[in-house]
Amino acid sequence: MSGTALVVAEIHAGRLAPATAEAVGVARSLGLTVIGFAAGSDAGSAAAEFGALGVTEAFAVPDPRLDTAPSGARIGSIRQALSASNATTVLTVGTALGRDLVGHLAIAWDAAAATGVTEVVATGEGFRVRRPIFGGRATETRLLAGGHFALAIRPHAFPPAAGGANPCTVRELPAGELAPGLLAARRTGVSAAAAGAGPGLTDASIVVSGGRGVRAPENFHLIEELAAALGAAVGASRAVTDAGWRPTSLQVGQTGRAVSPQLYIAVGISGAIQHLVGMISSRVIVAINSDASAPIFKVADYGIVGDLFQIVPALTAEIRRVRGL
Amino acid sequence: MEIVVCVKPVPESETRLRPTGDGRSLDPEAVKFVLAGYDESAVEQALLLKEAIPGSKVHAVAYGVAPRTEEVLRSAIALGCDAATWIDAGEETSGDPIVAARALGGLIRTLPHDLVLCGKQAGDDESGLVAAALGELLEVPEFGSVVDLRWDAATGQFRFQRSVEAGTEIWTAATPLIVGLQQAWNDPRTAKLPAILKSRKATIARATPTAAGGGRSSPERFELPPPRTGAKMIEYRTPEEAAQKLVRILREEAKVFP
Repeated sequence: MSGTALVVAEIHAGRLAPATAEAVGVARSLGLTVIGFAAGSDAGSAAAEFGALGVTEAFAVPDPRLDTAPSGARIGSIRQALSASNATTVLTVGTALGRDLVGHLAIAWDAAAATGVTEVVATGEGFRVRRPIFGGRATETRLLAGGHFALAIRPHAFPPAAGGANPCTVRELPAGELAPGLLAARRTGVSAAAAGAGPGLTDASIVVSGGRGVRAPENFHLIEELAAALGAAVGASRAVTDAGWRPTSLQVGQTGRAVSPQLYIAVGISGAIQHLVGMISSRVIVAINSDASAPIFKVADYGIVGDLFQIVPALTAEIRRVRGL
Repeated sequence: MEIVVCVKPVPESETRLRPTGDGRSLDPEAVKFVLAGYDESAVEQALLLKEAIPGSKVHAVAYGVAPRTEEVLRSAIALGCDAATWIDAGEETSGDPIVAARALGGLIRTLPHDLVLCGKQAGDDESGLVAAALGELLEVPEFGSVVDLRWDAATGQFRFQRSVEAGTEIWTAATPLIVGLQQAWNDPRTAKLPAILKSRKATIARATPTAAGGGRSSPERFELPPPRTGAKMIEYRTPEEAAQKLVRILREEAKVFP
């Protein structure tokens, strides 16, 4: 397999999300020439950031209408970039946007499609991909074949592309004609996940989640302080979000978000299957719980049985100490 | 409002998973199949909208093999859906979600559809591709990871939230619309016994896939991870000692932070 891959940028707060660097790394490890693609009002500067990842060519679609239109509105310009670059593979990140794009391209571009990919190798006909399924309770290997491929990688599953200092030549593309239906749907507001603007849950390489054991919303700052010391994202179990202690957007689990960070710290979370399927594919899991028989200790790598109101502040202090904060 | 809800049978979350003899896929033998978790929310959302908008109908559709696909449609009827159509996958067992999306799109095209609801992903393959593929097939705006979908009769528009990495987005959109649902505004209801009994006699329409175009992916291997052996427990006398030991392990043994 050789050829060209278009890496579609995930843009957070105007900048390339870290996982985009991972997608570039994957494309390069497959021996593909990488061309960047960024869309939305920040497209120009985000596309230029591909240079820092050693990518010398990128497309930008700096049309602000794309900021407030559904994902499908990007397909026209992605297809233009694909024809202009002769790319046969699209690589993106397994976020809400990235997965949407893969689903659209599977039809619009007749691509073999896979999301949540954690390993990928080239074969004669295409790619062999591995992806966790059943909430990390199993793994499947699939063979993708055909002329076009669209893959969304799972964040943190691959090393980011090594840096470079190449200037990146950015070519602007128009968004093209957008169907009236796409323009009629409008984003009318955004509320940031947390005012402190730590890393997003799926972006974060460390996640600290609090559960029922935290007992009351006014105690949740213990979780947030530990997360801040670690530069981690804050998550919560369903018990916490259902009780309204924290917003639903922080929920990790079957009805919330699935995360796979390098380190997941579960505090005061018993470990119902509903929660486990959202975090079990994390690389290292730490559990802090007062109940030694809590099921979370069966899936954790390291456990501390104890009172979180004592352990967590001590842990926050120790992390601040070693990190010189 | 004409609402179509796509559903899929998946193994119950407590089910023990096991590969088939050839190691390619999940062995369905002795597995209890149920309505997928996010699809339960999609059905709930469909029924909530039906209750809120007079004259609405909910049509449940599913692509898959006998008997579980037909059974999962019966559960949708028992929950309150008005009609159900099963697209028989027959011998097609690639497990490629795009094959399912093409079959569903071919059917939905022939049905009235102001709103198409899917779960944002199924709990088995977790691909999350069907809603987006349907958006492209039916040329209808599509949104994934939707929370709390409401109909505003005054403006004739939907209003909903979308849970994305950066936070929560608020959207408005008119019909027709396709939604991959993350959460309804209620917990999914459970079916009452008389409705379950009645659903056993309900007519499930049967269709064959109309769409051409086979799968571009095929299963090669289904593996279970080595069993987790349980946590290494940290022994300590004071909270400070527990913290120091854990930090040392995370840095030196697990190497997860600098």
